[in-house]
Parts: sequence; C-alpha cells; structure tokens
Amino acid sequence: MTETTLAAIDELAIQRAKTGDVEALGQLYRAYESTVYTLARRMCRAPEDAEEVLQETFLEVCRSIKRFRGSAPGMLTAWVKRVAASKALIRIRYEKYREVEALEEDGGWAGQRDGDVGLRMDLEAALSHLSETSRAVVWLHDVEGYTHEEIAELMGKSVSFSKSQLSRAHARLRKMLGEEAQC
Amino acid sequence: MLRHCTIAELLEVRDGEGAASARVHLVECSACHAELEQLHQRVAALKALPGFSPPRDRWPVIREAVAASRRRTRIERVGWGAMAAAAALVLFVGTRSLVGNGGEKLAAQEVAALVQESQQLEGVLESVSIRGRVTNGATAATIADLEDRIAAIDFGIERAQAVAVSRNEMADLWRERVTLMDRLVDTHVRQVRYVGY
Repeated sequence: MTETTLAAIDELAIQRAKTGDVEALGQLYRAYESTVYTLARRMCRAPEDAEEVLQETFLEVCRSIKRFRGSAPGMLTAWVKRVAASKALIRIRYEKYREVEALEEDGGWAGQRDGDVGLRMDLEAALSHLSETSRAVVWLHDVEGYTHEEIAELMGKSVSFSKSQLSRAHARLRKMLGEEAQC
Repeated sequence: MLRHCTIAELLEVRDGEGAASARVHLVECSACHAELEQLHQRVAALKALPGFSPPRDRWPVIREAVAASRRRTRIERVGWGAMAAAAALVLFVGTRSLVGNGGEKLAAQEVAALVQESQQLEGVLESVSIRGRVTNGATAATIADLEDRIAAIDFGIERAQAVAVSRNEMADLWRERVTLMDRLVDTHVRQVRYVGY
C-alpha cells in the first residue's frame, strides 16, 4: 500500500464510511481501486474478470463495512485486500478456463541440470503462463504476505495444497525465465 | 544431507520452517545457496512488478447498486411502518373514538395517509431509477444527501414507534419523510430527463 493511499483514508473517513456515508465510501473506493484491481489482475487471467472482481469487492465493502472491526487504515487495507482475494478466488473457481500450462511439469530444483535453457520470457509473461491457482498462491504468499494457513482457508483447501502449489509455481517460473541451474 | 535441496525445501528454509538438515546443507552447498538467492531475487522482481489502474470508473455503478439496495431496505421498512401505522389507527379508533380528542384522531388519520403517500413515492422512485446510469457529481451529492436524511428520519420513526410518541409527533416525522421523498423523486426524474436528452 502506498503512502498516498494511507494518507487519503483517515480514521474519520473510515468512521463515516461505516455509517453508510456515500461520499466517504466513494473516497474509500478511490483510495483502494488500483490496489484491488492490481491484486485481481494478478490473480485472474482476464482483465474483464479483474474488473468484475473490483466491482464485487466494493459492493461487498459497502455492504459489510459496518461489521468491520477496526479504525486504523492499515487494518482496513488488510480487510479490503482479503475481500478482494476472496472474490478473485471465487471467480477463479467458477470460471471455465482450461488451465493451459505452457510448459511441462517441472520436478523441482534438486540440483538437476536438464540442459534446457528454457524460454527466456519476462516475468510478466511467465506469470501469465502459470495456472490460475498457482498464480494466485504465489501472488498471495510471496507478494501479499499471506501465510499458507490463510491461503488454505481462503481456498477451502489444505495447507499442503498451498505449499505444493507454491513449489510448482516457482519451479515453472524458474524454467520459463530460463534461469540457469547453479550446479 | 547428501543431495541438493528441492524447491519445496528451499521455500521452507526461506519461510523459516526448513528442516535442520536442509539449513546445514545450504551453508555447505554453494549451488543450493545460489538457488535460494535466485528465489529471493525472483520474489523481489514479483514485488516490483508495476500496478494496474482500472480501465473504467466503476464507482458510478457501485454507488447506484448501493443506493438501490438502500431503497429496497427503505421500501421494506415503509411496508412495516405502514402496517404499524394501520394497526395503531385501528387501535386508536377502537379504543378512543368515543373519548379521545379530535386532534389526535385527525393526526392518526394523517399518519396513515402520509405512510400511504410515502409508499407511492417509493414505487415511483423504483420505476425511475435506472441501474448503472451515470450521474453527475452535483446530482449524486444531492441524492446522497437526501437519502441520508431519509435514513435519519426512518431511524427517528423506528425510535418513535418504540417509545409510543404522540400521533402529532409521528405525523411530523412522516410529513418530513414525504417531503424528502418527493424531492428525491424529483431529482431522479430530472436526472432521467437530462440523460434522455
């Protein structure tokens, strides 16, 4: 979260939003729209899905902010992101995408040198070639800082599922980015 | 540990959960150490990816959906209010028509009429409100202000019913509600006409 966002939403605005004040809710939307949309874009494959997640997230925020316990902007940020992550995961779950993996499964590092320098693509493209589930896990864990327990709860899966998805994601990213084996 | 670390093991070490044998191996094995460093760099690169801005402003649609939801809640509340007012009127007429003062009786009848008018205005509002219609800033502010004031009046009506205020006070509240509803409908109608052009 940027300093700008934290400065834009203060405790008074949060209290006003909790009373249903439309102006304060609009202020909240302006402060968080890019944060939520970025999270949704990183988790969903299609930009239009990310837009839907943005809309669904703020409808939920407007409906449920009365129940939000807290007044600090940092707590609000975490809550809004959690709502967004949850909406994105629901969308991923129900989308009928075929999860196309651009590359074959990678068994893991384990010091192997497969001689495959791989496709050297940029990180953005490599990320987009991950399955939606793997991408969601790597983004939530490594970028947003969620624990495997939190991800498991959001996804309705086990902790070991989250861990294995993260391993797979990194194995594929390493291969797609053409990172050389170190021994 | 005689073999190199797997990615799963490297991730566990990074997250402070790795097995002791894996941590010892990382100290001794420059290749696995380099692999862990590469992992750190990859994550740093992920965190450094640029953010996105939404291509369209979704707030007008969200705001309208929130307003529609509030209207539905209001309509339900007015429905209950009408039932309560009707019940109060029946009770009043039944128990006091012979001994009650004329002013109170008139006020009770006026409350019933105002509740009915309020319901009719809610119906009109429902028919003119168009989901997702773009509203200019000034009109949106007027609508938000009126809706907030109506919500405050509704809160007042609920409390008044709970403490059984006089019919005259109740009539004042409902009269103010009808005035605000009338202005809200008028604002929406003008907005629809404007967009229509």
